[in-house]
Amino acid sequence: MEFLGEVAAWFADPASWEGRNSIPLRLWEHVSLSVTALAMGMLIALPIGLAIGHSGRGARAAVAITNIGRAIPSLGWLGMVLPITLVLFERGGLGFLPALIALVALAIPPIVTNTYAGLREVDRELIDAARGMGMRESRILAAVEVPIALPVILAGIRSSAVQVVATATLAAVVAGGTLGDFILQGIFVRDLPRVFGAALMVAALALATEGLFALLQRLTTSPGLRAGEVGRAS
Amino acid sequence: MRIHRTLALGAVLLALVVSACTPGGGSTSPSASESEAAKPAVTVGSAGFYEAALVAEIYAQALEAHGYTVTRKLELGERDVTQAAIESGEINLKPEYLGGMASFLGADVAADPEVTFANMQAKLAEKGLVALDYSPGTDADGFVVRQETADQFNLATMSDLAAVADQLVWGLAPGCPDNPVCGPGLQSTYGIDISQLEVESLPPCSTQMAEALNNSAIDVAQVCTTQPDIARFNLVLMADDGGLQPAQNVAPVVSTALLDAAPDDFETTLNAVSALLTTDVLTALGVQVAVNQESYADVAAQFLADNGM
Repeated sequence: MEFLGEVAAWFADPASWEGRNSIPLRLWEHVSLSVTALAMGMLIALPIGLAIGHSGRGARAAVAITNIGRAIPSLGWLGMVLPITLVLFERGGLGFLPALIALVALAIPPIVTNTYAGLREVDRELIDAARGMGMRESRILAAVEVPIALPVILAGIRSSAVQVVATATLAAVVAGGTLGDFILQGIFVRDLPRVFGAALMVAALALATEGLFALLQRLTTSPGLRAGEVGRAS
Repeated sequence: MRIHRTLALGAVLLALVVSACTPGGGSTSPSASESEAAKPAVTVGSAGFYEAALVAEIYAQALEAHGYTVTRKLELGERDVTQAAIESGEINLKPEYLGGMASFLGADVAADPEVTFANMQAKLAEKGLVALDYSPGTDADGFVVRQETADQFNLATMSDLAAVADQLVWGLAPGCPDNPVCGPGLQSTYGIDISQLEVESLPPCSTQMAEALNNSAIDVAQVCTTQPDIARFNLVLMADDGGLQPAQNVAPVVSTALLDAAPDDFETTLNAVSALLTTDVLTALGVQVAVNQESYADVAAQFLADNGM
Protein backbone atom coordinates (compact mmCIF):
# COMPACT_ATOMS: atom_id res chain seq x y z
CA MET A 1 0.00 0.00 0.00
CA GLU A 2 2.87 2.30 0.81
CA PHE A 3 4.17 1.74 -2.69
CA LEU A 4 0.84 2.66 -4.29
CA GLY A 5 0.88 5.79 -2.16
CA GLU A 6 4.26 6.69 -3.67
CA VAL A 7 2.87 6.09 -7.15
CA ALA A 8 -0.07 8.36 -6.37
CA ALA A 9 2.34 10.96 -4.96
CA TRP A 10 4.24 10.96 -8.25
CA PHE A 11 1.02 11.61 -10.15
CA ALA A 12 0.00 14.28 -7.63
CA ASP A 13 3.34 16.11 -7.70
CA PRO A 14 2.89 19.39 -9.63
CA ALA A 15 6.44 18.97 -10.95
CA SER A 16 5.23 15.90 -12.85
CA TRP A 17 2.87 18.09 -14.84
CA GLU A 18 5.10 20.94 -16.01
CA GLY A 19 8.32 21.54 -17.88
CA ARG A 20 10.09 19.43 -20.45
CA ASN A 21 9.73 16.21 -18.52
CA SER A 22 6.02 16.49 -17.80
CA ILE A 23 3.40 13.77 -18.02
CA PRO A 24 1.37 15.71 -20.66
CA LEU A 25 4.47 16.14 -22.83
CA ARG A 26 5.49 12.48 -22.56
CA LEU A 27 1.91 11.42 -23.19
CA TRP A 28 1.78 13.63 -26.28
CA GLU A 29 5.07 12.18 -27.54
CA HIS A 30 3.67 8.72 -26.98
CA VAL A 31 0.32 9.31 -28.66
CA SER A 32 1.63 11.32 -31.61
CA LEU A 33 4.31 8.73 -32.32
CA SER A 34 1.81 5.87 -32.06
CA VAL A 35 -0.82 7.53 -34.22
CA THR A 36 1.71 8.47 -36.91
CA ALA A 37 3.18 4.98 -36.91
CA LEU A 38 -0.23 3.35 -37.18
CA ALA A 39 -1.35 5.74 -39.95
CA MET A 40 1.79 5.09 -41.97
CA GLY A 41 1.52 1.38 -41.30
CA MET A 42 -2.04 1.39 -42.65
CA LEU A 43 -1.03 3.49 -45.64
CA ILE A 44 1.53 0.86 -46.60
CA ALA A 45 -0.20 -2.32 -45.46
CA LEU A 46 -3.79 -1.78 -46.61
CA PRO A 47 -3.05 -1.41 -50.35
CA ILE A 48 -0.80 -4.48 -50.20
CA GLY A 49 -3.40 -6.48 -48.31
CA LEU A 50 -6.22 -5.41 -50.62
CA ALA A 51 -4.22 -6.14 -53.76
CA ILE A 52 -3.15 -9.62 -52.77
CA GLY A 53 -6.49 -10.39 -51.13
CA HIS A 54 -8.50 -9.40 -54.18
CA SER A 55 -6.29 -10.98 -56.80
CA GLY A 56 -5.03 -13.90 -54.76
CA ARG A 57 -1.67 -13.39 -56.43
CA GLY A 58 1.67 -12.77 -54.73
CA ALA A 59 0.16 -13.52 -51.37
CA ARG A 60 2.87 -15.81 -50.16
CA ALA A 61 5.67 -13.41 -51.05
CA ALA A 62 3.91 -10.36 -49.65
CA VAL A 63 3.05 -12.01 -46.37
CA ALA A 64 6.54 -13.42 -46.06
CA ILE A 65 8.15 -10.03 -46.66
CA THR A 66 5.91 -8.12 -44.28
CA ASN A 67 6.41 -10.81 -41.67
CA ILE A 68 10.04 -9.78 -41.50
CA GLY A 69 8.59 -6.95 -39.44
CA ARG A 70 7.42 -9.55 -36.99
CA ALA A 71 10.56 -11.63 -37.03
CA ILE A 72 12.84 -8.72 -36.13
CA PRO A 73 12.13 -7.36 -32.66
CA SER A 74 11.47 -3.64 -32.43
CA LEU A 75 14.64 -3.14 -30.44
CA GLY A 76 16.48 -4.75 -33.34
CA TRP A 77 14.87 -2.34 -35.79
CA LEU A 78 15.95 0.58 -33.62
CA GLY A 79 19.49 -0.76 -33.54
CA MET A 80 19.63 -1.12 -37.30
CA VAL A 81 17.88 2.13 -38.13
CA LEU A 82 19.54 4.49 -35.67
CA PRO A 83 23.05 4.43 -37.19
CA ILE A 84 21.52 5.19 -40.60
CA THR A 85 19.22 8.03 -39.49
CA LEU A 86 22.05 9.53 -37.44
CA VAL A 87 24.36 9.61 -40.44
CA LEU A 88 21.64 11.08 -42.65
CA PHE A 89 20.04 13.60 -40.31
CA GLU A 90 22.41 14.06 -37.34
CA ARG A 91 20.23 15.36 -34.49
CA GLY A 92 17.06 14.78 -36.55
CA GLY A 93 18.10 11.13 -36.70
CA LEU A 94 17.47 10.81 -32.99
CA GLY A 95 14.11 10.26 -31.38
CA PHE A 96 10.96 10.39 -33.47
CA LEU A 97 12.30 9.18 -36.82
CA PRO A 98 14.07 5.93 -35.87
CA ALA A 99 11.25 5.12 -33.44
CA LEU A 100 8.69 5.73 -36.17
CA ILE A 101 10.44 3.39 -38.60
CA ALA A 102 10.63 0.62 -36.02
CA LEU A 103 6.96 1.02 -35.13
CA VAL A 104 5.79 1.13 -38.75
CA ALA A 105 7.63 -2.15 -39.32
CA LEU A 106 5.74 -3.51 -36.32
CA ALA A 107 2.38 -2.18 -37.50
CA ILE A 108 2.44 -3.56 -41.06
CA PRO A 109 2.30 -7.38 -40.72
CA PRO A 110 -1.01 -7.82 -38.82
CA ILE A 111 -2.77 -5.43 -41.19
CA VAL A 112 -1.47 -7.13 -44.33
CA THR A 113 -2.26 -10.64 -43.14
CA ASN A 114 -5.69 -9.77 -41.79
CA THR A 115 -6.69 -7.77 -44.84
CA TYR A 116 -5.59 -10.61 -47.07
CA ALA A 117 -7.32 -13.24 -44.94
CA GLY A 118 -10.49 -11.15 -44.65
CA LEU A 119 -10.81 -10.76 -48.41
CA ARG A 120 -10.08 -14.42 -49.12
CA GLU A 121 -12.85 -15.44 -46.73
CA VAL A 122 -15.51 -13.62 -48.75
CA ASP A 123 -17.86 -16.12 -50.38
CA ARG A 124 -16.69 -16.71 -53.98
CA GLU A 125 -20.31 -16.95 -55.14
CA LEU A 126 -20.98 -13.39 -54.00
CA ILE A 127 -18.06 -12.14 -56.02
CA ASP A 128 -19.12 -14.14 -59.05
CA ALA A 129 -22.64 -12.74 -58.70
CA ALA A 130 -21.29 -9.18 -58.52
CA ARG A 131 -19.14 -9.84 -61.58
CA GLY A 132 -22.19 -11.29 -63.34
CA MET A 133 -24.09 -8.10 -62.59
CA GLY A 134 -21.41 -6.24 -64.53
CA MET A 135 -19.53 -4.69 -61.61
CA ARG A 136 -16.00 -3.56 -62.33
CA GLU A 137 -13.20 -5.15 -60.23
CA SER A 138 -12.65 -1.95 -58.24
CA ARG A 139 -16.36 -1.76 -57.51
CA ILE A 140 -16.44 -5.41 -56.39
CA LEU A 141 -13.59 -4.66 -54.01
CA ALA A 142 -15.20 -1.50 -52.62
CA ALA A 143 -18.84 -2.56 -52.49
CA VAL A 144 -18.67 -6.30 -51.82
CA GLU A 145 -15.35 -7.55 -50.52
CA VAL A 146 -14.27 -4.74 -48.19
CA PRO A 147 -17.61 -4.32 -46.39
CA ILE A 148 -17.80 -8.05 -45.75
CA ALA A 149 -14.13 -8.32 -44.75
CA LEU A 150 -14.16 -5.13 -42.69
CA PRO A 151 -14.41 -6.74 -39.24
CA VAL A 152 -11.36 -8.90 -39.99
CA ILE A 153 -9.44 -5.96 -41.47
CA LEU A 154 -10.25 -3.83 -38.45
CA ALA A 155 -9.17 -6.63 -36.14
CA GLY A 156 -5.77 -6.49 -37.85
CA ILE A 157 -5.54 -2.73 -37.42
CA ARG A 158 -6.61 -3.07 -33.81
CA SER A 159 -3.94 -5.64 -33.13
CA SER A 160 -1.33 -3.37 -34.75
CA ALA A 161 -2.51 -0.34 -32.80
CA VAL A 162 -2.26 -2.06 -29.43
CA GLN A 163 1.21 -3.41 -30.21
CA VAL A 164 2.37 0.01 -31.40
CA VAL A 165 1.08 1.79 -28.30
CA ALA A 166 2.75 -0.70 -26.01
CA THR A 167 6.03 -0.72 -27.95
CA ALA A 168 6.30 3.05 -28.35
CA THR A 169 7.91 3.01 -24.89
CA LEU A 170 11.09 1.79 -26.60
CA ALA A 171 11.50 5.17 -28.30
CA ALA A 172 13.02 6.34 -25.02
CA VAL A 173 16.25 4.45 -25.74
CA VAL A 174 16.82 6.56 -28.86
CA ALA A 175 15.93 9.91 -27.25
CA GLY A 176 12.34 9.69 -28.46
CA GLY A 177 10.85 10.53 -25.08
CA THR A 178 7.38 8.93 -24.69
CA LEU A 179 6.14 7.38 -21.48
CA GLY A 180 9.07 4.99 -21.82
CA ASP A 181 11.36 7.83 -20.76
CA PHE A 182 9.75 7.81 -17.32
CA ILE A 183 10.43 4.09 -17.13
CA LEU A 184 14.12 4.60 -17.95
CA GLN A 185 14.35 7.51 -15.52
CA GLY A 186 12.83 5.38 -12.79
CA ILE A 187 15.27 2.57 -13.48
CA PHE A 188 18.34 4.83 -13.55
CA VAL A 189 17.51 6.72 -10.36
CA ARG A 190 15.90 3.72 -8.65
CA ASP A 191 12.52 5.37 -8.46
CA LEU A 192 10.21 2.38 -8.85
CA PRO A 193 6.96 4.31 -8.28
CA ARG A 194 7.82 6.30 -11.41
CA VAL A 195 8.41 3.11 -13.40
CA PHE A 196 5.15 1.67 -12.18
CA GLY A 197 3.16 4.88 -12.76
CA ALA A 198 4.43 5.13 -16.34
CA ALA A 199 3.80 1.44 -17.02
CA LEU A 200 0.29 1.92 -15.69
CA MET A 201 -0.30 4.76 -18.14
CA VAL A 202 1.01 2.69 -21.06
CA ALA A 203 -1.29 -0.16 -20.08
CA ALA A 204 -4.24 2.22 -19.80
CA LEU A 205 -3.41 3.70 -23.19
CA ALA A 206 -3.23 0.23 -24.75
CA LEU A 207 -6.56 -0.74 -23.21
CA ALA A 208 -8.16 2.49 -24.39
CA THR A 209 -6.86 1.78 -27.89
CA GLU A 210 -8.27 -1.72 -27.73
CA GLY A 211 -11.63 -0.37 -26.57
CA LEU A 212 -11.72 2.31 -29.25
CA PHE A 213 -11.16 -0.18 -32.03
CA ALA A 214 -13.62 -2.66 -30.55
CA LEU A 215 -16.22 0.08 -30.70
CA LEU A 216 -15.20 1.04 -34.23
CA GLN A 217 -15.45 -2.58 -35.28
CA ARG A 218 -18.98 -2.80 -33.87
CA LEU A 219 -20.11 0.37 -35.53
CA THR A 220 -18.76 -0.49 -38.96
CA THR A 221 -19.85 -4.08 -39.15
CA SER A 222 -22.54 -4.37 -41.78
CA PRO A 223 -25.88 -5.28 -40.17
CA GLY A 224 -26.16 -8.18 -42.56
CA LEU A 225 -23.02 -9.69 -41.09
CA ARG A 226 -24.19 -9.75 -37.49
CA ALA A 227 -24.89 -13.38 -36.82
CA GLY A 228 -27.90 -12.81 -34.59
CA GLU A 229 -29.70 -10.58 -37.01
CA VAL A 230 -28.97 -12.84 -39.93
CA GLY A 231 -30.58 -15.63 -37.94
CA ARG A 232 -33.65 -13.57 -37.22
CA ALA A 233 -34.02 -12.37 -40.77
CA SER A 234 -34.14 -15.86 -42.23
CA MET B 1 27.61 4.72 -12.10
CA ARG B 2 27.48 0.96 -12.07
CA ILE B 3 23.76 0.59 -12.50
CA HIS B 4 24.00 2.64 -15.64
CA ARG B 5 26.39 0.29 -17.29
CA THR B 6 24.60 -2.76 -16.05
CA LEU B 7 21.27 -1.60 -17.34
CA ALA B 8 22.48 0.01 -20.50
CA LEU B 9 24.34 -3.07 -21.61
CA GLY B 10 22.35 -5.69 -19.84
CA ALA B 11 18.80 -4.69 -20.50
CA VAL B 12 18.26 -1.78 -22.82
CA LEU B 13 21.01 -2.44 -25.24
CA LEU B 14 21.06 -6.15 -25.39
CA ALA B 15 19.70 -6.29 -28.89
CA LEU B 16 21.12 -2.95 -29.99
CA VAL B 17 24.73 -3.79 -29.51
CA VAL B 18 26.34 -6.50 -31.52
CA SER B 19 25.46 -8.59 -28.50
CA ALA B 20 24.98 -12.34 -28.27
CA CYS B 21 26.95 -12.14 -25.09
CA THR B 22 30.08 -14.15 -24.86
CA PRO B 23 29.52 -16.82 -22.26
CA GLY B 24 31.65 -16.47 -19.17
CA GLY B 25 34.77 -18.41 -19.86
CA GLY B 26 34.59 -20.69 -16.92
CA SER B 27 36.65 -23.84 -16.89
CA THR B 28 37.96 -24.49 -13.44
CA SER B 29 41.48 -25.71 -13.22
CA PRO B 30 41.57 -29.15 -11.63
CA SER B 31 45.33 -29.16 -11.53
CA ALA B 32 46.10 -27.90 -8.05
CA SER B 33 48.96 -30.13 -7.07
CA GLU B 34 49.25 -32.03 -3.81
CA SER B 35 51.89 -29.76 -2.41
CA GLU B 36 49.60 -26.76 -2.73
CA ALA B 37 46.79 -28.37 -0.77
CA ALA B 38 47.26 -25.89 2.05
CA LYS B 39 45.85 -23.18 -0.16
CA PRO B 40 42.18 -22.49 0.57
CA ALA B 41 39.54 -22.91 -2.11
CA VAL B 42 38.46 -19.71 -3.76
CA THR B 43 35.02 -19.08 -5.26
CA VAL B 44 34.99 -15.92 -7.32
CA GLY B 45 31.75 -14.18 -8.27
CA SER B 46 31.00 -11.04 -10.20
CA ALA B 47 28.28 -8.60 -11.14
CA GLY B 48 26.37 -9.28 -14.32
CA PHE B 49 28.22 -7.18 -16.83
CA TYR B 50 31.33 -7.72 -18.86
CA GLU B 51 33.87 -5.57 -17.04
CA ALA B 52 33.19 -7.05 -13.61
CA ALA B 53 33.16 -10.56 -15.06
CA LEU B 54 36.43 -10.00 -16.91
CA VAL B 55 38.21 -8.59 -13.86
CA ALA B 56 36.91 -11.54 -11.84
CA GLU B 57 38.29 -13.91 -14.47
CA ILE B 58 41.68 -12.17 -14.38
CA TYR B 59 41.82 -12.49 -10.59
CA ALA B 60 40.82 -16.14 -10.92
CA GLN B 61 43.51 -17.00 -13.46
CA ALA B 62 46.17 -15.12 -11.52
CA LEU B 63 45.32 -17.13 -8.42
CA GLU B 64 45.28 -20.40 -10.37
CA ALA B 65 48.75 -19.62 -11.60
CA HIS B 66 49.79 -19.62 -7.94
CA GLY B 67 48.23 -22.99 -7.28
CA TYR B 68 44.84 -21.98 -5.97
CA THR B 69 41.73 -23.94 -6.86
CA VAL B 70 39.21 -21.43 -8.13
CA THR B 71 35.51 -21.94 -8.79
CA ARG B 72 33.81 -19.29 -10.90
CA LYS B 73 30.33 -17.87 -10.45
CA LEU B 74 30.54 -14.98 -12.86
CA GLU B 75 27.72 -12.65 -13.89
CA LEU B 76 25.57 -13.38 -10.86
CA GLY B 77 23.49 -10.23 -11.17
CA GLU B 78 23.42 -6.81 -9.62
CA ARG B 79 25.16 -5.73 -6.45
CA ASP B 80 22.38 -6.84 -4.11
CA VAL B 81 22.81 -10.37 -5.49
CA THR B 82 26.61 -10.51 -5.40
CA GLN B 83 26.68 -8.98 -1.93
CA ALA B 84 24.19 -11.53 -0.60
CA ALA B 85 26.33 -14.25 -2.19
CA ILE B 86 29.57 -13.13 -0.53
CA GLU B 87 27.91 -12.56 2.85
CA SER B 88 26.38 -16.03 2.76
CA GLY B 89 29.68 -17.63 1.76
CA GLU B 90 28.41 -18.80 -1.64
CA ILE B 91 31.36 -16.87 -3.05
CA ASN B 92 34.36 -15.51 -1.16
CA LEU B 93 35.90 -13.13 -3.67
CA LYS B 94 34.43 -10.54 -6.04
CA PRO B 95 35.70 -7.44 -7.80
CA GLU B 96 33.98 -4.28 -6.66
CA TYR B 97 33.84 -0.58 -7.44
CA LEU B 98 34.71 1.68 -4.51
CA GLY B 99 31.93 4.23 -4.83
CA GLY B 100 29.24 1.72 -5.77
CA MET B 101 30.18 -0.66 -2.96
CA ALA B 102 30.53 2.12 -0.38
CA SER B 103 27.18 3.72 -1.13
CA PHE B 104 25.53 0.29 -1.22
CA LEU B 105 26.79 -0.25 2.33
CA GLY B 106 25.65 3.18 3.41
CA ALA B 107 29.14 4.67 3.63
CA ASP B 108 30.01 8.15 2.42
CA VAL B 109 31.59 8.41 -1.01
CA ALA B 110 34.06 10.97 -2.29
CA ALA B 111 35.97 11.77 -5.44
CA ASP B 112 39.14 10.80 -3.56
CA PRO B 113 39.54 7.01 -3.86
CA GLU B 114 41.54 6.84 -0.63
CA VAL B 115 38.68 8.36 1.37
CA THR B 116 36.04 6.26 -0.34
CA PHE B 117 38.15 3.12 0.16
CA ALA B 118 38.58 3.79 3.89
CA ASN B 119 34.84 4.40 4.34
CA MET B 120 34.03 1.23 2.44
CA GLN B 121 36.60 -0.82 4.37
CA ALA B 122 35.05 0.14 7.70
CA LYS B 123 31.62 -1.03 6.57
CA LEU B 124 32.98 -4.24 5.02
CA ALA B 125 34.71 -5.16 8.29
CA GLU B 126 31.32 -5.28 10.01
CA LYS B 127 30.32 -8.02 7.59
CA GLY B 128 33.47 -10.12 7.86
CA LEU B 129 34.76 -8.83 4.55
CA VAL B 130 37.85 -6.95 3.53
CA ALA B 131 38.94 -5.15 0.38
CA LEU B 132 42.48 -5.44 -0.95
CA ASP B 133 44.33 -2.69 -2.84
CA TYR B 134 42.33 -0.77 -5.41
CA SER B 135 43.23 -0.22 -9.05
CA PRO B 136 44.56 3.07 -10.40
CA GLY B 137 41.81 2.94 -13.05
CA THR B 138 38.26 4.06 -12.39
CA ASP B 139 34.99 3.27 -14.10
CA ALA B 140 32.93 6.28 -13.09
CA ASP B 141 30.38 8.44 -14.86
CA GLY B 142 32.04 10.89 -17.16
CA PHE B 143 31.41 13.28 -20.01
CA VAL B 144 33.04 13.01 -23.42
CA VAL B 145 33.16 15.18 -26.52
CA ARG B 146 34.34 14.59 -30.06
CA GLN B 147 38.00 15.37 -30.78
CA GLU B 148 36.96 18.24 -33.09
CA THR B 149 34.85 19.83 -30.33
CA ALA B 150 37.71 19.51 -27.87
CA ASP B 151 40.01 21.21 -30.38
CA GLN B 152 37.52 23.91 -31.33
CA PHE B 153 36.83 25.04 -27.75
CA ASN B 154 40.13 23.86 -26.25
CA LEU B 155 38.42 21.49 -23.84
CA ALA B 156 40.22 19.24 -21.37
CA THR B 157 38.30 19.50 -18.12
CA MET B 158 34.73 19.74 -16.92
CA SER B 159 35.40 23.36 -15.98
CA ASP B 160 36.42 24.07 -19.59
CA LEU B 161 33.23 22.38 -20.72
CA ALA B 162 31.10 24.41 -18.30
CA ALA B 163 32.25 27.64 -19.95
CA VAL B 164 30.78 26.61 -23.32
CA ALA B 165 27.97 24.38 -22.03
CA ASP B 166 25.17 26.43 -23.57
CA GLN B 167 26.69 26.22 -27.05
CA LEU B 168 26.50 22.43 -27.08
CA VAL B 169 23.82 19.74 -27.27
CA TRP B 170 24.04 17.39 -24.29
CA GLY B 171 23.18 13.71 -24.19
CA LEU B 172 22.13 13.05 -20.62
CA ALA B 173 20.73 10.07 -18.76
CA PRO B 174 17.00 9.88 -18.26
CA GLY B 175 16.54 10.94 -14.66
CA CYS B 176 19.65 13.13 -14.67
CA PRO B 177 17.79 16.01 -12.95
CA ASP B 178 17.07 13.69 -10.01
CA ASN B 179 20.51 12.10 -9.76
CA PRO B 180 22.75 13.89 -7.19
CA VAL B 181 25.92 13.32 -9.21
CA CYS B 182 24.27 14.38 -12.49
CA GLY B 183 21.94 17.41 -12.66
CA PRO B 184 22.30 18.81 -9.12
CA GLY B 185 26.02 17.93 -9.01
CA LEU B 186 26.76 19.60 -12.35
CA GLN B 187 25.00 22.70 -11.02
CA SER B 188 26.73 22.87 -7.64
CA THR B 189 30.21 21.77 -8.77
CA TYR B 190 30.49 23.35 -12.20
CA GLY B 191 27.64 25.85 -12.38
CA ILE B 192 26.10 23.95 -15.29
CA ASP B 193 22.31 24.35 -15.19
CA ILE B 194 21.00 21.47 -17.27
CA SER B 195 17.50 22.96 -17.38
CA GLN B 196 18.97 25.73 -19.57
CA LEU B 197 20.74 23.36 -21.97
CA GLU B 198 19.80 21.65 -25.20
CA VAL B 199 19.37 18.06 -24.02
CA GLU B 200 18.66 14.70 -25.62
CA SER B 201 17.62 11.99 -23.18
CA LEU B 202 19.59 8.80 -23.90
CA PRO B 203 20.68 5.82 -21.79
CA PRO B 204 24.13 6.65 -20.37
CA CYS B 205 27.06 4.36 -21.16
CA SER B 206 25.07 3.05 -24.12
CA THR B 207 26.14 2.58 -27.70
CA GLN B 208 23.31 4.86 -28.89
CA MET B 209 24.75 7.65 -26.76
CA ALA B 210 28.20 7.15 -28.29
CA GLU B 211 26.84 6.87 -31.83
CA ALA B 212 24.73 10.00 -31.40
CA LEU B 213 27.88 11.84 -30.32
CA ASN B 214 30.02 10.41 -33.08
CA ASN B 215 27.43 11.48 -35.68
CA SER B 216 27.13 15.02 -34.30
CA ALA B 217 23.53 14.55 -33.14
CA ILE B 218 24.82 15.60 -29.73
CA ASP B 219 28.07 17.30 -28.70
CA VAL B 220 28.52 16.05 -25.15
CA ALA B 221 27.74 12.52 -24.00
CA GLN B 222 27.37 11.05 -20.55
CA VAL B 223 29.36 7.82 -20.53
CA CYS B 224 31.18 5.39 -18.28
CA THR B 225 34.87 6.21 -18.23
CA THR B 226 35.97 2.74 -19.40
CA GLN B 227 33.28 2.42 -22.09
CA PRO B 228 34.78 0.77 -25.19
CA ASP B 229 33.11 3.36 -27.44
CA ILE B 230 35.51 5.99 -26.07
CA ALA B 231 38.39 4.14 -27.69
CA ARG B 232 36.33 3.09 -30.71
CA PHE B 233 35.30 6.63 -31.66
CA ASN B 234 38.38 8.39 -30.30
CA LEU B 235 36.31 10.49 -27.90
CA VAL B 236 37.83 12.91 -25.41
CA LEU B 237 37.03 12.40 -21.75
CA MET B 238 36.70 15.61 -19.73
CA ALA B 239 38.73 15.50 -16.52
CA ASP B 240 36.53 15.76 -13.42
CA ASP B 241 38.61 18.63 -12.00
CA GLY B 242 35.91 19.64 -9.53
CA GLY B 243 35.73 16.15 -8.07
CA LEU B 244 32.03 15.59 -8.72
CA GLN B 245 32.06 11.87 -9.45
CA PRO B 246 32.70 9.44 -6.59
CA ALA B 247 35.78 7.27 -7.08
CA GLN B 248 34.92 3.99 -8.82
CA ASN B 249 38.28 2.26 -8.74
CA VAL B 250 38.25 -1.53 -8.80
CA ALA B 251 39.20 -3.58 -5.76
CA PRO B 252 38.77 -7.24 -4.85
CA VAL B 253 36.48 -7.79 -1.88
CA VAL B 254 37.22 -11.05 -0.07
CA SER B 255 35.96 -12.77 3.03
CA THR B 256 38.21 -12.18 6.02
CA ALA B 257 38.17 -15.94 6.64
CA LEU B 258 39.66 -16.59 3.21
CA LEU B 259 42.31 -13.92 3.60
CA ASP B 260 43.32 -15.26 7.03
CA ALA B 261 43.52 -18.85 5.78
CA ALA B 262 45.54 -18.02 2.68
CA PRO B 263 49.30 -17.62 2.50
CA ASP B 264 50.79 -14.23 1.66
CA ASP B 265 50.87 -14.85 -2.07
CA PHE B 266 47.07 -14.56 -2.17
CA GLU B 267 47.13 -10.90 -1.26
CA THR B 268 50.29 -10.03 -3.19
CA THR B 269 48.93 -11.71 -6.34
CA LEU B 270 45.61 -9.84 -6.26
CA ASN B 271 47.32 -6.54 -5.45
CA ALA B 272 49.74 -7.01 -8.33
CA VAL B 273 46.84 -7.59 -10.72
CA SER B 274 44.84 -4.60 -9.47
CA ALA B 275 47.89 -2.36 -9.87
CA LEU B 276 47.85 -3.10 -13.61
CA LEU B 277 44.26 -1.99 -14.11
CA THR B 278 44.42 1.60 -15.27
CA THR B 279 41.43 3.30 -16.89
CA ASP B 280 43.05 2.84 -20.31
CA VAL B 281 43.72 -0.83 -19.66
CA LEU B 282 40.14 -1.41 -18.51
CA THR B 283 38.85 0.37 -21.63
CA ALA B 284 41.10 -1.64 -23.94
CA LEU B 285 40.15 -4.94 -22.29
CA GLY B 286 36.50 -3.91 -22.55
CA VAL B 287 36.91 -3.45 -26.31
CA GLN B 288 38.22 -7.01 -26.57
CA VAL B 289 35.29 -8.62 -24.77
CA ALA B 290 32.39 -6.27 -25.51
CA VAL B 291 33.22 -5.25 -29.08
CA ASN B 292 35.43 -8.02 -30.43
CA GLN B 293 33.44 -10.67 -28.57
CA GLU B 294 36.51 -12.50 -27.30
CA SER B 295 35.97 -14.78 -24.32
CA TYR B 296 36.76 -13.65 -20.80
CA ALA B 297 39.13 -16.60 -20.41
CA ASP B 298 41.13 -15.75 -23.53
CA VAL B 299 41.37 -12.04 -22.81
CA ALA B 300 42.34 -12.66 -19.19
CA ALA B 301 44.99 -15.24 -20.13
CA GLN B 302 46.49 -12.96 -22.77
CA PHE B 303 46.50 -9.99 -20.39
CA LEU B 304 48.27 -11.93 -17.65
CA ALA B 305 50.76 -13.41 -20.12
CA ASP B 306 51.52 -9.96 -21.53
CA ASN B 307 52.27 -8.76 -18.02
CA GLY B 308 54.40 -11.77 -17.13
CA MET B 309 52.02 -13.19 -14.56
